[in-house]
Amino acid sequence: MVNSIFLQLLTGLQLGALYVLISLGLALIFGTLGVVNFAHGAMFMVAAYLGVVISQAEWGGWGVAIVLVPIILFALGLLMERGLIRFFYARPHTDQILVTFGLAIVLQETFKWYFGANNLPFATPDWGSGIMRLHDYLPFLEGFVAYPKWRLILTAVSLITVAGLFALLQFTTFGLVVRAGMRDSEMLRLLGVNISRRFAIVFALGVGIAGIAGVFGGPVTQVDPGIGMVFLVPSFLVVVIGGMGSLPGAVLASFLIGLAISFTATIPALANIIVYLIAIIILLFRPRGLMGQKGVME
Amino acid sequence: MTDKKEKKIWTRRDVLKASVGVAVASATPMFFMKDAWAEEAIGNYPVKGSTVKFGFNVPQTGAYADEGADELRGYKLAVEHLNNGGGMLETLKPSSLKGNGVLGKKVEYVTGDTQTNPDAARTSARRMIDRDGVIMWSGGSSSATAIAQQYLAQEKGVIFMSALTHSNDTTGKDKRRYGFRYFFNAHMTGKALAPVLSKAYGKDRRAFHLSADYSWGHTQFESMKDFTEKEGWTTVQNIMTPLKSTDFSAFLTAVLNSDADVLVLNHYGKNMVNSLSQAVSFGMRELQKNGKTMEIVIPLYSRLMAQGAGIDNVEGVYGTTSWTWKQKDAGSQVFTNAFTKVHGFPPSQAAHVAYCQTLLYANACEMAGTFYPPAVIKALEDFKFSGTGTGDTLYRGEDHQCMRDILVVQGNSKAKSSGKYDLLNIHATVKADAVAYPVSTFKGELGPYKPA
Repeated sequence: MVNSIFLQLLTGLQLGALYVLISLGLALIFGTLGVVNFAHGAMFMVAAYLGVVISQAEWGGWGVAIVLVPIILFALGLLMERGLIRFFYARPHTDQILVTFGLAIVLQETFKWYFGANNLPFATPDWGSGIMRLHDYLPFLEGFVAYPKWRLILTAVSLITVAGLFALLQFTTFGLVVRAGMRDSEMLRLLGVNISRRFAIVFALGVGIAGIAGVFGGPVTQVDPGIGMVFLVPSFLVVVIGGMGSLPGAVLASFLIGLAISFTATIPALANIIVYLIAIIILLFRPRGLMGQKGVME
Repeated sequence: MTDKKEKKIWTRRDVLKASVGVAVASATPMFFMKDAWAEEAIGNYPVKGSTVKFGFNVPQTGAYADEGADELRGYKLAVEHLNNGGGMLETLKPSSLKGNGVLGKKVEYVTGDTQTNPDAARTSARRMIDRDGVIMWSGGSSSATAIAQQYLAQEKGVIFMSALTHSNDTTGKDKRRYGFRYFFNAHMTGKALAPVLSKAYGKDRRAFHLSADYSWGHTQFESMKDFTEKEGWTTVQNIMTPLKSTDFSAFLTAVLNSDADVLVLNHYGKNMVNSLSQAVSFGMRELQKNGKTMEIVIPLYSRLMAQGAGIDNVEGVYGTTSWTWKQKDAGSQVFTNAFTKVHGFPPSQAAHVAYCQTLLYANACEMAGTFYPPAVIKALEDFKFSGTGTGDTLYRGEDHQCMRDILVVQGNSKAKSSGKYDLLNIHATVKADAVAYPVSTFKGELGPYKPA
């Protein structure tokens, strides 16, 4: 019984971990810039492909991929914000959706054309392969309890990323300005703060986190051109459930959804709709989401 | 002028004309005379011009894309051999194929992408029928797409020779007069595999099933459950997993938490590659349950899947398959050699079924002497043949299911493998008689020879 609940909890956490990494960037971009970035799933897909290519390249390897992929994605985010997104800040939401969704389709089809529609095998590195015998470390477990090492690594990376981002926003001047900008960007501008330059960095940061998701999540999700779209809708739901623009909300909602999927896996009728069911129930009782604040995005 | 009745007198010319007429009529092939087949236009019949077009509708994207790619290689080789001779044209018995096309017309083909999706498959097939004018089309995989296309075949009056489809429904409750299956089915898998499993793992086993949530997964689970329970096994639970699943961790956690000591993966294509790899990564092949080592079973195997999952993951795992390139019979050998010569690697069962179905259709046209669909259907029904790598085979007329030998296979080990394509060992060839079943086992009607 203890084993059973523990394993389901662990599976829920590792499923949520990937949602955290994808939806965190989404919530960050939405919260600061007010842009609904439908190309965020595609960024995750690009990162997963880069992860495969770099980790298997002669000049590369897993260590290089872990460092390089988030940096490349950060640069890509910067390019995207300066070259495209900033022209749409003042435009209606529908225009933002159209341009980002269009970009997602272009990226997806380009990757399909270049890499083919079949999935690329993305093997975990030797140090991340195999199982971890959890009963050796956790005395309350009975008998043999093991879990794939890579999934535990993914969960750990996700938690570290969350901690890092919160520290950045909470304990640095940059974070202070960004948080202020999230509340009232107009006032900040009036005070003479160059908020748009910082917002460009925030956008790039969000995309960079999708880079971490791609390189660590790729071996779990499989790498094919459609993988971005698969995660796009649930990630948006996570942001909505968590509260539009709320980072702690996105983290909470991600783990909530992961746990819900894990605990309902044996009831297929429920498992297929649980994410949507949770969204309906939460929005019914808390229309602003779990941690949405009054006045934000309203 | 007198009114008199004109008397009809046979002149020499009349007699000559009449005798020429009789000669022409008697030289005409008999099928024109069969009053049952007044040959009106059906589907894309009659075929005009010096060429005839086939359609090959395979998954080029989605969970079964790898299988689709190999099917396409098989189809192309079949067209090559139909037009220029070679391959199984030399081993198929009886054969009316001449290697000069079909009924003297060169074979051309068009291809489509089913996207492993019934709606996309139907749309693609409709385009082939309406725009490209195919006289026959073939394809798979996924039973859901095969069944959807069979209904379209019946509606359009164009024959569909299904390739990879393993659901009992294809030639069971959803059988159609215009659909034919050379591949085996889930029922035959259960019948062949269950005795082998109980001999290898014992009669006191508890099985947990993960099954793809569509027609095939459902019937595969039912058949495996029925036949393993007859052997004394207990079915602990079955979870239907969405076809688009790529992460099976939540389902595998449920398996770990159960008291099952066998995991049956009723998955195919990428689904199976992912679920098996992830099951192994969860340590399931090292696990001890009920005092026994946990075992994994893959009822429907293919070399492509074994390749995707990796030899370490499939080592020792039992399953069934339609055909492998390692078979020594003449038909398998000529096909494997011809295929390998073109591609540099051996064919899979997907390429084999695609190739055979194309040849069998063409042969039926030659036997019937026409492309007229009802006549071709009649020629295929109850056609007995050999030389295609599946022993003495019967295209059963009542349900259009081939009664043929199937293989129980076991994953090879790295130490014993002769190369990267040597992934499956033949454990047993189960003869057609041993896996045969009465037509009445499944419901369904074939429908009329002429579309409504």
